[in-house]
Amino acid sequence: MTLSQGLANTQARPEPVRVDHRWRRWKHPTISCGAVTLFLVIWQLSGSLHWVDALLLPPPSEILATAGELLSSGYRQTPLWEHFAISTARALTAFVAAIASGVPIGLCMGLSPTLAAGLNPFVQFLRPLPKIALIPLVIVWFGIGEGAKFFLIFISSFLSIVVGSAAAVLGVSQARLRAAQTLGANRRQLFTHVVLPNALPELFTSVRLSIGIGWTSLIAAEMVAANSGLGWMVINAGSYLRTDVVLLGIVLLGLTGYFFDWVLVRLQRRWVPWTGKDA
Amino acid sequence: MSSVARIALNHVFMRFDGPTVGSPGNQVLSDVSLALADGEFVCLLGSSGCGKSTILNLLAGFDKPDQGELLLDGRPIDAPGPERGMVFQQPTLFPWLSVRDNVTFGPRMAGQSAERYQADADRFLRLVGLQDFASHFPWQLSGGMRQRAALARAWLPNPEILLMDEPFGALDAQTRLAMQELLTRIWQTTRTTILFVTHDVDEALFLADRVLIMSASPGRIREELQVPFERPRSLEDLVADPAYGQLKRRILHVVREEAAKSLNSVAA
Repeated sequence: MTLSQGLANTQARPEPVRVDHRWRRWKHPTISCGAVTLFLVIWQLSGSLHWVDALLLPPPSEILATAGELLSSGYRQTPLWEHFAISTARALTAFVAAIASGVPIGLCMGLSPTLAAGLNPFVQFLRPLPKIALIPLVIVWFGIGEGAKFFLIFISSFLSIVVGSAAAVLGVSQARLRAAQTLGANRRQLFTHVVLPNALPELFTSVRLSIGIGWTSLIAAEMVAANSGLGWMVINAGSYLRTDVVLLGIVLLGLTGYFFDWVLVRLQRRWVPWTGKDA
Repeated sequence: MSSVARIALNHVFMRFDGPTVGSPGNQVLSDVSLALADGEFVCLLGSSGCGKSTILNLLAGFDKPDQGELLLDGRPIDAPGPERGMVFQQPTLFPWLSVRDNVTFGPRMAGQSAERYQADADRFLRLVGLQDFASHFPWQLSGGMRQRAALARAWLPNPEILLMDEPFGALDAQTRLAMQELLTRIWQTTRTTILFVTHDVDEALFLADRVLIMSASPGRIREELQVPFERPRSLEDLVADPAYGQLKRRILHVVREEAAKSLNSVAA
């Protein structure tokens, strides 16, 4: 075998199979949409055909009507979009602060076993703690203003970002580090050119998980003597048996969380296209 | 052997700790000495576990010997450095960098300006046949192409010695042959000193000026053979040469003896 033949062999990449290329691409989104539609139809029928009392489970049509009503006249003197904007702003401020402080601290813990040994007891004690247990203390410390709500969302996402970032640093393979060393990388370059890019996919995953956790604690945060926000709206409406408003709030909370995650997945695909790829 | 070897191991001993504290451990290398002259291509041949990769890791500066001396141009080796390039069994490319950025990793770490290394990068990408794949990412390439990129990456900084740890071991037979031809072709233009670890007798005879056969537990150099065939070599001509058959037979005899020995020692 000649050299060129050999090279041609190694370069031959299998052509992508063209069988129903479009269907394969749209298969799973179609199934997802179908499942949601089916669910909505059954839910609607349960109300329209009086299978379930509409007070216990208001059908989608009623929730849609409530949404229209709240959009025009607001809930408890506050327009719906403002509840939504207040909650989102609270959560986003806390997320940004948690990522900006949690990622560097986690990276340092991953790099320095000494620092990790010093901080880990606190992080591991606080992380699994139900944050609702902190509410009384938080009120005493921060009062009932925005500070308390910020702190509760911040602390729950911050702790999981720290743990995730520390683990991401440790995930670098010895082979990759050694390859960089034989190419002359010094300690600083090993970090910036190997450890950090290598950790990025896992960093993204831990940020996604942490934002999910932080969004969850929004309700806990808005239980702290709030008078606006989606979490507050759900709790308040519950005490007046406005199940339609409760469900509307739940749907909005869920969709917003879904949207945050969707944005992060898009960013991850764009900025870290090597996620899960080996080389 | 010239008076000052490019790279040398002198009476190196190395022991790995056992699985628990106080267990006997494993004498990996026992009184190993070897020297490579400038521009020499030497294959280190041995069965798995005989310590041949350990020798490369010592020369690369990843490990330190318990006893003995490691020298590059007469200077002791104590840490990894760009003057000793290495190609691993796996390509170990960086998936976040394009093929070109992978290949130019060395000069970029050294802080060289792009104008200085771009011509060399183009030359090496052409030498390994990846000029059309420079902006691809490693995960878009086949296994053989990745290993070619790794070869170019290790070679581009023009190291004083290239250490190769079974670099073609994970490739299929046809790709391996093509890679061996590619490697010797580039080596004939650069004449970089190469220490190449393999367990494949044909590979060693095709590539090397000199073959060192290792014995296992404890690892030591058991035999040294000059490979007399003229370059450029072709596998077809080698196979037809009666001297090739004799040499291969002699090596196989030693390798089989060693394999039997290590099997017995495991059984004992």
